[in-house]
Amino acid sequence: MSHYEYVESFAGLPVFDFTPETGADGLPGAAEAAWRVRLDDFIEDFAPFQELFSRFLEAVDTTSVTALIVGNWGATHEVPAVRPLELLTGASERFPALKALFFGEWLQEETEISWIEQGDVTPLFTAFPGLETVVIRGGSGMELSPLDSPVLRELRLETGGLPGSVARALGASDLPALRSLELWLGVEEYGGDTTVDDLGPLLTGERLPALRHLGLQNAQIQDEIAAAAAGAPVVARLESLSLSMGVLTDEGAEALLSGRALTHLKRLDLHHHYLSDEMAERIRAALPDVELDLGDRQKDDWRYVAVAE
Amino acid sequence: MRFTVVGTPGERRVEAFAAACASSGLSRPGVLPWTDVLSGAPLEVDGLLRVDSPGEDAAADALLRGPGDPARVGGGARWYRTLRRGLERLRPFPSAGDVDEIAVMFDKRACHARLSAAGVPVPASLGPVGGYRELRERMAEHGVRRVFVKPAHGSSASGVIALQTAPGRIKAVSSAVPDGSGWRNSLRVRTSTSEAETARLIDALAPDGLHVEKWFPKAGLNGRLLDLRVVVIAGEPAHAVVRTSTAPMTNLHLGGTRGPLEDVRARLDWSGAMDVCARAAACFPRSLMVAVDLLIGLDWRRLAVAEVNAFGDLLPGLTGLPGTRAEGLDTYTAQIRAVLAAREGDATRDTGRGASLCGT
Repeated sequence: MSHYEYVESFAGLPVFDFTPETGADGLPGAAEAAWRVRLDDFIEDFAPFQELFSRFLEAVDTTSVTALIVGNWGATHEVPAVRPLELLTGASERFPALKALFFGEWLQEETEISWIEQGDVTPLFTAFPGLETVVIRGGSGMELSPLDSPVLRELRLETGGLPGSVARALGASDLPALRSLELWLGVEEYGGDTTVDDLGPLLTGERLPALRHLGLQNAQIQDEIAAAAAGAPVVARLESLSLSMGVLTDEGAEALLSGRALTHLKRLDLHHHYLSDEMAERIRAALPDVELDLGDRQKDDWRYVAVAE
Repeated sequence: MRFTVVGTPGERRVEAFAAACASSGLSRPGVLPWTDVLSGAPLEVDGLLRVDSPGEDAAADALLRGPGDPARVGGGARWYRTLRRGLERLRPFPSAGDVDEIAVMFDKRACHARLSAAGVPVPASLGPVGGYRELRERMAEHGVRRVFVKPAHGSSASGVIALQTAPGRIKAVSSAVPDGSGWRNSLRVRTSTSEAETARLIDALAPDGLHVEKWFPKAGLNGRLLDLRVVVIAGEPAHAVVRTSTAPMTNLHLGGTRGPLEDVRARLDWSGAMDVCARAAACFPRSLMVAVDLLIGLDWRRLAVAEVNAFGDLLPGLTGLPGTRAEGLDTYTAQIRAVLAAREGDATRDTGRGASLCGT
């Protein structure tokens, strides 16, 4: 599984692409679409995106926009993400109704996830305090200060390598409404130095009273994470747990099965794994009432996460 | 009416075509081995020639590229010179193909130029390059960071490199693996992030000619990238296969799989896409069949022709698109029927075209 397709809906709304080819006519109502602003070619410069974004601000009544996706903003090696981030946060008063933001919807055919140069993403949360749903793609160079949001419900960080400092900042955040947290942890080679210790506060869940879905995915250290999840207090209140996309082997699965009960879960997602048939069968037998995803079994000798580079 | 197939005796293409002849009430086709064509042996042709692939035959490959491991990468220039000499020997015989058009299709630079001149959408070309250094210079000139580097004379993605660069970074995906002092084709794609290794591969391939195109970002569906292989028979897009992959190359032998045609048809401006394929095929008017590789942009609107293949109709079990003359027929039977119909002169509107297809 990888990101080869643009999302077609976001935050419950159909996506409307606003690209350099988009004309002024035939636009949907501002509140009726998730707006994806993106260039549609490889462009080694930020000016065309600035122009596009200005045109978007003129063409659409952004005061009613609730969902926004920022995609291709110019070649990732030329234009660090801080540029579109500043453009966006600088226009925050134009988006008083914004509830959902997907920042950095780049596809694999456009750039590698680890080639997206992120920076400090905290301003996205402070400039748009009404955000309930946030997705950020790309973790290289990502920085985050502890968040404090009473309304943030869903957060997903899709990275080929999540810095441990970001995981620690999340652990120190106050997110009383957060129902769904997904972290793609990636590999060390691409800056993914998050350890199980860094995830400690998230696994106790003390500051995440509303959490119902936790994804700690796409990890080189997926076995260690599975072992940690097996003893994690937070799991008791989850409806759904994902340890998918990573290098999960029988060792991690064994630890998972011998830990706290998982039978209360509605769903356990382990897809893209390195489990033996016997282990897969044991998991099925142990969790007969849980909706299991054991798909996309990896047969490679090279053990690799689903999305890294 | 009888066919003679230029191919490899006993090979699956030849056998499948013979079966299609039988089901159309024709006698078993003759087989003219490529090894005879290439070695200068006397040629005997009975009826209409069908020129098929010399692939999958180590003896033909040894004649085309010289002796060596058939899995090795490279040798395209010699392969092409020998192929053209062989095609020249076939020129006197009536044929469902055309030796000059086959020669163009096996030169990616010439093929790209022909399509481009005809206004068929193609990925932008960066022109020929003599090696890795020149490639990077050309990429810098054009402001292009992602390219497909293709040996001018190759097939089955042999030696094709999907290359992306950024300052201090490189990622090259290809089916070539280092093998002693050279390279060989593997049945899976491999990623290299070593500039030195990538430069060595490109420099090894460059003397045989390289065609470089700007990377055309492809559409995805159900978590896989896709493109289309469309077989155009007597001018009509007749068969279509969705090829999907998680690698930049969708070739079925490199782990690509057939994808859901109906889903793609529903999503795409299908008639527009088929029109592009027909226009690409129209650049090869004397060929009964060409197989067009059509790229669909990630916005599902842009289209580009990646390749036109002279021997791209090995698609077992695939029947023609509904509403076409090939409906219900496999690619070989559909071609045989097209020839027979043209001979009877009652099934093609363009009798001039029909006559040329019959080689009369």
